Amino acid sequence: MIGSLILLFALTTLYMSATSRIKAYIKIVSLQGVILFLILFFRADNIFSLNFIFLAVETLLVKAVVIPLFLSNVLGKSAVLRESDPRIPNFYSLVISSLVLFSGFIISNLHSDIFEQITPLYFGISISTIFISLFIITSKKNILTHVVGYIMMENGIFLLSLSVAKEMPMVVNMGVLLDLFIAVFILGLFISKINSAFEETNIHSLTSLKDYGDDD
Amino acid sequence: MMIKLLLMLPVAISLILFLLRSKKLNQAMLVIYSVLYLLSVFYIWLVPQEQSNDLFGLYFRVDALNVLFLLVLGVVFAGMALYNLGFMKGLDVSRGSHTYYSIGVILFVLCMTGTLLSTHLGLSWVFIEATTLASAYLVYFNKTKHSLEAAWKYVFICSIGISLAFVGIILLSIGTGHINSLFFDGLYSQANKIVPIWLKLSFAFMLVGFGTKMGLAPVHAWLPDAHSEAPSPISALLSAALLNSAFLIILKLYKLMELTHLDDYARTLLFTMGILSLFITAVFIFGVKNYKRMLAYSSIENMGIITIGIAIGGVGVFAAMLHLVGHSFIKSSFFLTSGNILNRFQTKKIGEVSGILKIDRVTGWLWIICFVGIAGLPPSPLFISEFLMVKAMFIKQYFFLAAIFLLLLTVIIYGMGKLVLKMSFGDVSPQHTTLTQTGRTLSWHMYVPQLILLAISVMIGLYMPDVVNKLIQGAATVISTM
Repeated sequence: MIGSLILLFALTTLYMSATSRIKAYIKIVSLQGVILFLILFFRADNIFSLNFIFLAVETLLVKAVVIPLFLSNVLGKSAVLRESDPRIPNFYSLVISSLVLFSGFIISNLHSDIFEQITPLYFGISISTIFISLFIITSKKNILTHVVGYIMMENGIFLLSLSVAKEMPMVVNMGVLLDLFIAVFILGLFISKINSAFEETNIHSLTSLKDYGDDD
Repeated sequence: MMIKLLLMLPVAISLILFLLRSKKLNQAMLVIYSVLYLLSVFYIWLVPQEQSNDLFGLYFRVDALNVLFLLVLGVVFAGMALYNLGFMKGLDVSRGSHTYYSIGVILFVLCMTGTLLSTHLGLSWVFIEATTLASAYLVYFNKTKHSLEAAWKYVFICSIGISLAFVGIILLSIGTGHINSLFFDGLYSQANKIVPIWLKLSFAFMLVGFGTKMGLAPVHAWLPDAHSEAPSPISALLSAALLNSAFLIILKLYKLMELTHLDDYARTLLFTMGILSLFITAVFIFGVKNYKRMLAYSSIENMGIITIGIAIGGVGVFAAMLHLVGHSFIKSSFFLTSGNILNRFQTKKIGEVSGILKIDRVTGWLWIICFVGIAGLPPSPLFISEFLMVKAMFIKQYFFLAAIFLLLLTVIIYGMGKLVLKMSFGDVSPQHTTLTQTGRTLSWHMYVPQLILLAISVMIGLYMPDVVNKLIQGAATVISTM
């Protein structure tokens, strides 16, 4: 069960690199939040422990509902609905992401004693998710897509932390969630500002600070 | 007790400021808090603290290493707060912005203090990410298109970098196996049980992550933008305190690498990033058209020098610590002085500024003296530290490295010197001639902090008091355990 959920998670990353509607991106990160919750649910020994309840709130409430709603709200204010003219055409980014994912699978099937502490499938998929998100951030041009890429990267990191049997202390977990939440919030506010100041949310408008080249 | 005060008081003050929203109170509170901060840091330094073993004492602790960083932060913060009195007078800001600015500064300092004091790797991570978020508004403070762009890049790039550092933390916790601890002390005592391959991977991730925050090339992209667009007092804090806080975490990790005998690997990475930082600065210093960006690149350079010093080891570690102290004091006064120039000329373009000495003699001389200090000419402490570093390179027979190091430093000094001298001397350009006649002077708050900071630096450079020597020596011995 958990194995197929992780594969589903991997498929969402592929869909992410193949589509160009920003609304779809937001739906995907929301779906990833739900998948992460289900993974947590099926592997938990005790669903009434404080740590589990906290992580359930983090995935199901924050990652699957609050952040996507907030991003949809930001999206509603900007006129851009589609990631136009990506640096690398969607088809090629799908190919590249698939290759990254494939190498993730290969890593997770390596039988080596350095893997004794972790679950290999989690590890391979989460590392490839992190790299695919970095790739998406660099290849797409809309800054809202960048934020979605950042959240997907955080989801990948969350999956990676599940691959370790040990748990982070509660205080650290809480701090991480708080930081992530505020970061997304601040970035969202900045997107609205950028949208009204530059009349578009494309990174082309964010190139006036530089050293070589003409002054504006 | 003092530590609790340092971490609790700012929250209370921010709350009061938020509720009352008075400009005068904001100004007064910032100065009072900075003085209290400085006093309590001195108290922590001079009076030995007993270790408390409650939850608070477990996560936050003072040792010989971070007390140095705390002192630097305290002094720079006090200088910045004093300068801020004059700086804010010249600005026309709304009550709300003024309040958010003051709260932002206080929370920013709080987050840096948390980073410095934290004994837990995960908690350090939380605080270092919080520094980005607390200072986002400060970078955006001018509310221009440029500051918006800078703030966006700052928050986004740093968040991505810091996320990579978190990957490193998870990889480390895979490598530690059955040792269920991310406390630095726990990691040090069990160092030999950590699986080397995971530690190596994790160090690479964390170096990139915290290195982003420290401003090491090639992950420095946010730094020139944020430093140049932030108000000058904030630039001073960013450059002289924030970069150090991120560096402290890298230092603690480097110590772990030493204890696990992977220091050769760590050194190679540190050397690469250090030399690359010098190289990037040497290339870009000739293209800058904005004097605050010039200072920002100089920060990248100095972070590179400090990293190289750590990587050399031996006396290089002491030199790196001395360099860190000197750089913080001199660079913060450099950035504060750039605020005076901006106030006078109303432009950040180097091409439009000349003849500072004719318009404002004190600012002009401060500008030149700060340059002399940063360039590492005697009596700057940076002269001693750079000299010791080259000496350490010769001892270890890194002749090629020493040659490149000196060459790049010379190129950077030449590039900066040309710009600084052009700005200070020469005739006042026609559009600014009115400035000489008006005879308007800046308030004394905008000169005294720089003078004090520079005086401390010169004192360290010429004659180092025994207590300061012991302090830096103590910090250096914590790192070079071998």
